[in-house]
Amino acid sequence: MSNISQATSTAHRPVYGLIAEFENTHDLMHAAEKVRDAGFIWWDCCTPFPVHGLDKAMGVKRTWLPFFVFGAGATGTAAAFVLQTFTNSFGFSAWALVKVTGYPYLISGKPMMSLPAFIPVMFELTVLFSALSCVGLMFLFNGLPRLYHPLLQNNRFRRATNDRFFVVIEARDPKFLRGSTEAFLRTLGASAVEAVED
Amino acid sequence: MSHAPHADLSPKNTQLGPGSLTLRNAAAGIGIVCLGAGVYLGKSGAFETDARTFWKIYLVSFLFGLTICLGGLFFVIIQFLTRAGWSVAVRRPAEALASNLKWIWLLFVPVLWMFFNGTAGTLFPWADLATLEANDPGIAHVVEKKVAFLNANFFLLRAVVYFAAWALLAWFFTNQSTLQDHDGAMSRTKSMQKWSGPAAIVFGLTTTFAAVDWIMSLSPAWFSTMFGVYFFTGCVTGGYASLALITARLKRWGFLHGIVTGEHLQDLGKLLFAFGMVFWAYIGFSQYMLIWYANLPEETGWFLTRQVGGWLPITLMLLFGHFVVPFVGMISRWPKRFGLSLAFASVWMLCFHWIDLYWLVMPEIPSDIGSFASYGDLVAKYGTQSNGLENPLNYILAFGVLSLVVAGSVAYLQGRSLVPMRDPRLHESLSFENV
Repeated sequence: MSNISQATSTAHRPVYGLIAEFENTHDLMHAAEKVRDAGFIWWDCCTPFPVHGLDKAMGVKRTWLPFFVFGAGATGTAAAFVLQTFTNSFGFSAWALVKVTGYPYLISGKPMMSLPAFIPVMFELTVLFSALSCVGLMFLFNGLPRLYHPLLQNNRFRRATNDRFFVVIEARDPKFLRGSTEAFLRTLGASAVEAVED
Repeated sequence: MSHAPHADLSPKNTQLGPGSLTLRNAAAGIGIVCLGAGVYLGKSGAFETDARTFWKIYLVSFLFGLTICLGGLFFVIIQFLTRAGWSVAVRRPAEALASNLKWIWLLFVPVLWMFFNGTAGTLFPWADLATLEANDPGIAHVVEKKVAFLNANFFLLRAVVYFAAWALLAWFFTNQSTLQDHDGAMSRTKSMQKWSGPAAIVFGLTTTFAAVDWIMSLSPAWFSTMFGVYFFTGCVTGGYASLALITARLKRWGFLHGIVTGEHLQDLGKLLFAFGMVFWAYIGFSQYMLIWYANLPEETGWFLTRQVGGWLPITLMLLFGHFVVPFVGMISRWPKRFGLSLAFASVWMLCFHWIDLYWLVMPEIPSDIGSFASYGDLVAKYGTQSNGLENPLNYILAFGVLSLVVAGSVAYLQGRSLVPMRDPRLHESLSFENV
């Protein structure tokens, strides 16, 4: 993309945010702490590989996901128990979209409702419910699937998957002011600061 | 990758002080007194203990100490097998547990001695076929076919092999690790890594056969192909709980400051959670499920015995105390990260590990267990049998063995620093963080 066309488009499109490029994780970590302490909310770090300790430096709070997964797992256990108890142990009918009838099945003289036989299914459904809800909610919390992102239009940002580390501050942040935020990012030791269009 | 650690590796932080000498001597003294008193009381029939019950209690106590030490050895082997970096800072306490395997066979000598003075039949019914034939011809008929494996000479030979293997493995790993503190040779880590594979195989085979010999053969007609794994889950429960407890204690006493962090505690907690709670329940249920479903008379009696009378509360106690309650309690992140909560969970699991062994060894399968028309008839006859938990001998002997294990572990830690100072992966361990 030529400079001219970029300049033209900048004039017409709103700014998504500012990216600051860093050359190593040490500088990035240092910058993340400063941005965190400056009180920004809508910002992120982009790195080619997981950087240990970055969550702490960014002040990222722990996710609530485990609590939802625990709830989903418990639901799975209960669902499996009810399912088996109903289908295996009771003769009455119930409406679940269509009319279904429990079918009492006598297996080698064991009681109709024998818990040991139900446990494998209860275990499996617990795992199934937790695993699916874990992945599903992780996607939901992360705003995925997302087929377009403004950062992917930026040429400099391509190196985020290779050998450069980025701090991105979005324009929707209440503290975001194009000029002062750009100056602030430069003080953090960024090798380059650039605006990204939406 | 993160901030470089500046851990304090000075002797003040990594060497036990003179106070540990008092602890070691007190533990050794208490251990010997408890064991001596327990054996004397048991042999003289105090608390209405008959010979068979006494020897079973002795066996439970011995296995309690043994499984803890085997768990420590397993931890050490696995760290080298997987080339783990995180665990270097907490490896010494595990080595200390494993080092007890060099002498713990002494406590088993009295059991082996029974084969020489002809009283082995009191503990192992298969060792005295004539008496078994008279009391329980049905069982004797089954056991007669197992004589090729269950005979005194082969049993003694196997016991010697197990103890020799464990002592050798414990010696090799503790010795190499200690020598590395002095010369820092990379070749020692390489050699421990090389031998950790064969060591794991030897460990798996010996513990499996030991479980069959020393616990399963107490009810010689019963069999479970999963029993070795079940015994192994007990080893890791006891070992990991003790390892977490020792590590938390050392931190509480002001050692390992900045060396062992919440990150390491969390991983020890994860291991305790995964092996002691989940894996134990998984294997325990798998064993129960197959036997319950197949409903073969010679197999089911073992579980049926544990479902009537005083054994039912213990079975339920295990289900909830060894699995459900600690599972829910330890599932989240924070209880694993603090020394106090982790130590509490470790003590809890050690108690239930002892109950688990008690539940494995103590119940007697009635010879007429398969002859009842209904469960109600069985309960009518055996519903009042006691589980024997009120016998103080249980606690005297278990405490005695545990004290000796504590004394042995402290003695090991006194002789060297609390972290492997010149392990090539120490730096990796110090900067370890959970993602």
